[in-house]
Amino acid sequence: MVASRRTETRDTVTLALRPAAQPIGSHRPGQFTMLYAFGVGEVPISISGPPNGSELLQTIRAVGAVTEALCAAEPGRLIGVRGPFGTDWGVGLAASAGRPADGELTTPVMADPAGKDVLVVAGGIGLAPLRSALLTMLAARERYRRITVLVGSRSPQEIAFAGELSSWRALGAEVHVTVDRASAGWRGDVGVVTQLLDRVDIDPAATIALVCGPEVMMRLTARALAGRGIATADIRLSLERNMRCGIAECGHCQLGPLLLCRDGPVLDYERAGPLLAIREL
Amino acid sequence: MTGVLPAELGEHAFLRGLPAEYIARLAQVAAAVSVPAGHRFFEEGGRAVQIWLIRTGRVALDLHVRGREPLIVETVGGGQVVGLSWVCPPYEWQYGAQALAPTTAITLDTTAVLSYCDQDPVLGYQLIRRLMTVAADRLHASRIRLLDLYAAPSQQAGAT
Repeated sequence: MVASRRTETRDTVTLALRPAAQPIGSHRPGQFTMLYAFGVGEVPISISGPPNGSELLQTIRAVGAVTEALCAAEPGRLIGVRGPFGTDWGVGLAASAGRPADGELTTPVMADPAGKDVLVVAGGIGLAPLRSALLTMLAARERYRRITVLVGSRSPQEIAFAGELSSWRALGAEVHVTVDRASAGWRGDVGVVTQLLDRVDIDPAATIALVCGPEVMMRLTARALAGRGIATADIRLSLERNMRCGIAECGHCQLGPLLLCRDGPVLDYERAGPLLAIREL
Repeated sequence: MTGVLPAELGEHAFLRGLPAEYIARLAQVAAAVSVPAGHRFFEEGGRAVQIWLIRTGRVALDLHVRGREPLIVETVGGGQVVGLSWVCPPYEWQYGAQALAPTTAITLDTTAVLSYCDQDPVLGYQLIRRLMTVAADRLHASRIRLLDLYAAPSQQAGAT
């Protein structure tokens, strides 16, 4: 059931969901659920809140009939939830805690970047699944070295979670935002998010990068990060395909040898890179 | 403005790796600058005779649009450079530049730099390679922005 609804931007809202009957399974940052707007359809949606055991935060952009119906859901409305599904950013847990047993995943489990620098790079609504990881890390700030967040947005009006950026800074993250198109009065950065990388001091041997956004943006960002010396295994991307069943049965989300609802969405660039380079897969 | 030691100049990302003899030569025509937010480095159409190697702060490249505030087309920060128009005709600034935050930089007199390059094509080649990298990066970034990657499908060019 929708407990609350917050408007993020013109076309994006965050719903807080609470169980109406069965409890909602706990999630790990980076996972997604299948949300069902009754009578309209079902879509995969990233979880944007940290695991807290009581409610599920899901950030949705209205881009079609199902997402428009979900975005319009007012408090009290029932929504179908399946999941959580998929791999995670590896944040906040010991390498094996809370994860499926060996053999259930074809993707290696990622380790928590405790004791390392964490570089979060988000494009557009790609900030939603990263927010879950970011808030988890900020809640245990002492576990990590520098936490740097780079956000790319279409315009100042379309910056997701714009109202939270100052609180992330206050909690110990270095946050930079750039927009593709400035409007009158904007005094922040203008340019693509990869250009912000030039201004960040990176210790490549001790940095884990978490990247989410449009696939072109992730490809360019991952390439730039690898160019700065970060190992491809330490660059984690959240990929998106046409998730339908969520349990690796239907094959709609196939990417080469992977089924992204099970083996993804989070993959390291070492595995994802070669697959992203293929034009038609 | 104050003078710049070769070691300081050589630390900037733009010149990193340039042989010491060239750094020393460029330091002779370099000066350190520190400006407050709001400072205008140059205006569109002005004669382009300087380059700024930004150390800290943020600079906006902007265009005047009649009846509107200057439109920021790109921002540049520490480790990056401002001012490429001195390399090619018509040697006029194509944009304006304004500090968005207190900014420190090293500026080079590019009339002298061009003279050095004429005298020593190896130095010219080294600088042109670096400037080409900056220009290519900006062209690439502009093309990516043209893709409008963050737009909703209905907002993207070609959407039906």
